[in-house]
Amino acid sequence: MSEQIDQALERKYDAGFVSEIESETFAPGLNEDVIRRLSAMKDEPEWMTEWRLQAYRKWLKMEEPEWAHVDYPKIDYQSISYYSAPKSMKDKPKSLDEVDPELLRTYEKLGIPLHEQEMLAGVAVDAVFDSVSVVTTFREKLEEAGVIFCPISEALHKYPDLVKKYLGTVVPKGDNYFAALNSAVFTDGSFVYIPKGVRCPMELSTYFRINEQNTGQFERTLIVAEEGSHVSYLEGCTAPQRDENQLHAAVVELVALDDAEIKYSTVQNWYPGDENGKGGIYNFVTKRGLCEKNAKISWTQVETGSAVTWKYPSCILKGDNSVGEFYSVALTRGKQQADTGTKMIHLGKNTKSTIISKGISAGRSNNAYRGLVRMGPGAEGARNFTECDSLLIGDQCGAHTFPYIESSNPTAIVEHEATTSKVSDDQLFLCRQRGLDPEKAVSMIVNGFCKEVFRELPMEFAVEAGKLLEISLEGSVG
Amino acid sequence: MLSIKKLHARVEETTILKGLDMEIKPGEVHAVMGPNGAGKSTLGYVLSGRDGYEVESGTVEFEGKDLLDMEVEERAQAGLFLAFQYPVEIPGVSNMEFMKESVNAMREGRGETPLSSAEFLKKAKAACKQVELPLDFLKRGVNEGFSGGEKKRNEIMQLILLEPKLAILDESDSGLDVDALQVVAKGVNSQRDGKRSFIVVTHYQRLLDYIEPDYVHILSNGKIVKSGGPELAKEVESSGYAWLKEGENA
Amino acid sequence: MSQWLAHVIDRAANVDDWLSPVRANALAELKQKDWPGRRTEAWRYTSLHKVADLNLATNSQQTAEAPLVDGLNSIDLVFVDGRLTTDIAALNLPAGVSVQSLETKNEAADKLFGKIKPEHHLFGLVNDVLAQQGVVIDIADAAEVDQPIRIVNVATDGIESHHRTLVRLGNNAKAKIIEHGVGNDHSLNTVFAEYDIGDNAKLEHYRLALHEGNAIHVGGSHFRLHNQSRLNSTLVGYGSQLTRLDVDIEHAGEHAFAKFNNIYLLAPNEHFDLHSTIEHAQPNGTTEENARGIIGDKAKAVFNGRIHIHRHAQKTLAELNNRNLLLTRGAQINTKPELEIYADDVQCAHGATVAEIDEEALYYLLTRGIDRQQALIMLNFGFVQELLFQMPNRALADWLHPILKQRFERMMEQR
Repeated sequence: MSEQIDQALERKYDAGFVSEIESETFAPGLNEDVIRRLSAMKDEPEWMTEWRLQAYRKWLKMEEPEWAHVDYPKIDYQSISYYSAPKSMKDKPKSLDEVDPELLRTYEKLGIPLHEQEMLAGVAVDAVFDSVSVVTTFREKLEEAGVIFCPISEALHKYPDLVKKYLGTVVPKGDNYFAALNSAVFTDGSFVYIPKGVRCPMELSTYFRINEQNTGQFERTLIVAEEGSHVSYLEGCTAPQRDENQLHAAVVELVALDDAEIKYSTVQNWYPGDENGKGGIYNFVTKRGLCEKNAKISWTQVETGSAVTWKYPSCILKGDNSVGEFYSVALTRGKQQADTGTKMIHLGKNTKSTIISKGISAGRSNNAYRGLVRMGPGAEGARNFTECDSLLIGDQCGAHTFPYIESSNPTAIVEHEATTSKVSDDQLFLCRQRGLDPEKAVSMIVNGFCKEVFRELPMEFAVEAGKLLEISLEGSVG
Repeated sequence: MLSIKKLHARVEETTILKGLDMEIKPGEVHAVMGPNGAGKSTLGYVLSGRDGYEVESGTVEFEGKDLLDMEVEERAQAGLFLAFQYPVEIPGVSNMEFMKESVNAMREGRGETPLSSAEFLKKAKAACKQVELPLDFLKRGVNEGFSGGEKKRNEIMQLILLEPKLAILDESDSGLDVDALQVVAKGVNSQRDGKRSFIVVTHYQRLLDYIEPDYVHILSNGKIVKSGGPELAKEVESSGYAWLKEGENA
Repeated sequence: MSQWLAHVIDRAANVDDWLSPVRANALAELKQKDWPGRRTEAWRYTSLHKVADLNLATNSQQTAEAPLVDGLNSIDLVFVDGRLTTDIAALNLPAGVSVQSLETKNEAADKLFGKIKPEHHLFGLVNDVLAQQGVVIDIADAAEVDQPIRIVNVATDGIESHHRTLVRLGNNAKAKIIEHGVGNDHSLNTVFAEYDIGDNAKLEHYRLALHEGNAIHVGGSHFRLHNQSRLNSTLVGYGSQLTRLDVDIEHAGEHAFAKFNNIYLLAPNEHFDLHSTIEHAQPNGTTEENARGIIGDKAKAVFNGRIHIHRHAQKTLAELNNRNLLLTRGAQINTKPELEIYADDVQCAHGATVAEIDEEALYYLLTRGIDRQQALIMLNFGFVQELLFQMPNRALADWLHPILKQRFERMMEQR
């Protein structure tokens, strides 16, 4: 029976192709000059250059964290190139017609057509290719509603006050090793601003693609939702199949002011490396949101890619009655390693958080949930509910749970539950007896296991996530 | 003894009791029957003062005092007892400890001296036997791991020990086989002394074969829609509650 | 580096007895150790600054009485400040029981000393190099000892002391062992115990860490379970100025069963830190762990419960449940239940809660006329009482019950 499961798990990585695009890439290496050059390339204001340098100086004094349940060779930060952009992007194409057709074809192949008429109606896309944003669709339509959705490099020029006001307020530049590195060298990413009381008329989405060799991707996303506004944002990521490991160290900051709501969904499918753990992306990401009064931030993530994942999308529930949610599916196979979870920091009264984490481990992979729920002294009447379930497929993998619970308020209630299970022979037998092949059966059981999380995804993405899981369990469903 | 006038009560946003009236004199047994969702359990919760059951209007007097103005435990100490349909389990608190606390709280409420451990034990054992529960139930956690029938018997045991003036039995028959039903009914009947009153809430007529009511009320959509003698229960037995709907439509 | 630790290392050089070769290894390791800080995961929530510069006397001539437990009828081995005050030769021991002092060279001690306790623990190493006194208990194969054996450790004012207990249960043996620690005054007392439980043997174990006030108590109980063996252990702790306990249960054989209950009741400024680790190294093992704590006043509790299922430990059943109640605004709990699982055909679960009273249960008590304050006491205390009820030794449970209840009622008053 387990042989059939193994077969069902044989992988195919559909996004592993390389695009033939001429790029301008910095020579590998990192020092203050590289940062100044990078900042100059982007024609940034002086305060931004200085901010980067401060972050870099902090980073130099910091140590790479070792507490996560992951194991990878030391990264040589001097062997990475910190900037790479398609040459054709140098002149900043004004419209889609001026964009290099090869770039457009890349996204089309990934299932993300950038021509608006071909797109899923109701989804605006910012496409980031290596270090630059290629195109952002539906901008006029969004502008009508007062919504700003553009590359962060552009926002630095067009809306410097807004960027300056919020950048680094949720994830300070010296927050942690990878956040400090990102603050020093981030290249592009998305900026979203939803004015007071506005419900963003469409889903916003950024699609990240690493193409060039030996580069790292360091994008930075900043979303500000003014009082009473509402936005749903999606992010997807892929990279070519290469033998070398590549570093992706992103930072995402969310600011939800009073009564605002931000829904942030991720489908992460970076190249995971091959069966033996060769190659793949190191996905070391810092994501955090700040909730003011009555605000709500909801993180949903489907993590199937990357060789190593280190990621804890978190909520600081500062305002009274604010709500934080974290829904996660993490699937590891081959020799993938994931250490992911969330932090819910309850500061305000009657704050609420819900954590639902589903970890699926197969092959020789290791999958860890790591979370923190903190009830501060002022978290009067606050509540948390956490459910962490692990599914093990095969006897060579590992599933781990490390929940930290800290409470210093007697009226706060915290509940944490964790269980493990396996795809049992009985379940498989039943499915097969009812005429399903084992691959379909495994896929069905896994999908059922993840249902609670999938239903949190926006519809357009739920389909993609389901498909991704099927591809990840490739062979199981063709 | 109990006088309910135009009682309106709600749970969260939903009004459940919509102008309920009822008069109960000492020694009387009133059966309250009705379809599911009529508000039968709500009546017991409102009278006992459960959080979340909000009285919108109306009055309830218990022995001339405003019942609605009293705390849950004050109502209990005044002699109001509610036998739960689904008694909660309290692991770690032994039945014995719990009932002794409770009996003495009642005695204190009546201005009597508390029972000594030995006196209490004697009474508890007798009550335990009366409802045909093994004595080791006294040592177990309150309702912990009890079967449905055992929980109901445990409630009646408390009824016997606490000697209330008015007991509300909330579907004390549900989920019981005939033998258990007889035990419960016998326990209740043993407490009928001509002064003590009962409200017997039930969906089926079955229980009323064993605990004979003086009055039967039909509760529907938050109101008493029909009252009568024991014959009314028989009527329900043969025709069910469907006629209520027809009545509404008319 | 702490001055105290430097001093320990100096003193260790002067320890010369039959265990010296073993101690030398421990000393070498101890010298490599960093002084734990906030970034040391095992000490994340427990600061050792109160120990860092400690400078207490190490020799004591104090005498003290062991606390009397009615109806326990135990064989008592009493240590005052680590020094044995019981005349072993005068004891009337049941058949199959051998008791020796750690000071005399003996085979059982040689096989156990430092063999079961995990090596990484800083204070375990300190105990390795400094614990010259202690007790070695050997229960012969198939011996069924009904009378409990109690090892009492009394810590007195101004003294630092170190104690080691070593216990072997032969195959098919049965025994009941109580580790009973007390002390109210400024003192440091490290007490480590190692248990080897033979095939099909059965150990009933209690650790009462009833240190209060200014006492600092650091210790551990470490168990190795062989095939089909059974362990039923209950730990009851107060916090004292600083109490840190490590309990390790290793399933080294198949089909072993371990039940581990612990209760902590903390007030007023106490600090209690319990780290438990369950190692399922072999298949078909079962572990049930329940930890319940009530934290009052300005006390702080730390619970870390790790379950580690090794690659081949299939068919393991392991459950851990930790529940906590905070009574006051100043009280704190940091809890971390951990699962680390490398086998797929296992059933593992853990849960942790920090909560207020169950409203439905409170309502039930109120409808029975019990006043609110009394109902809260019953429910809160019921929460730990449930585990007391599960203690197999009734005499010990009956003795503990009023003591804990009183402590709890004081905690409620300080709300």
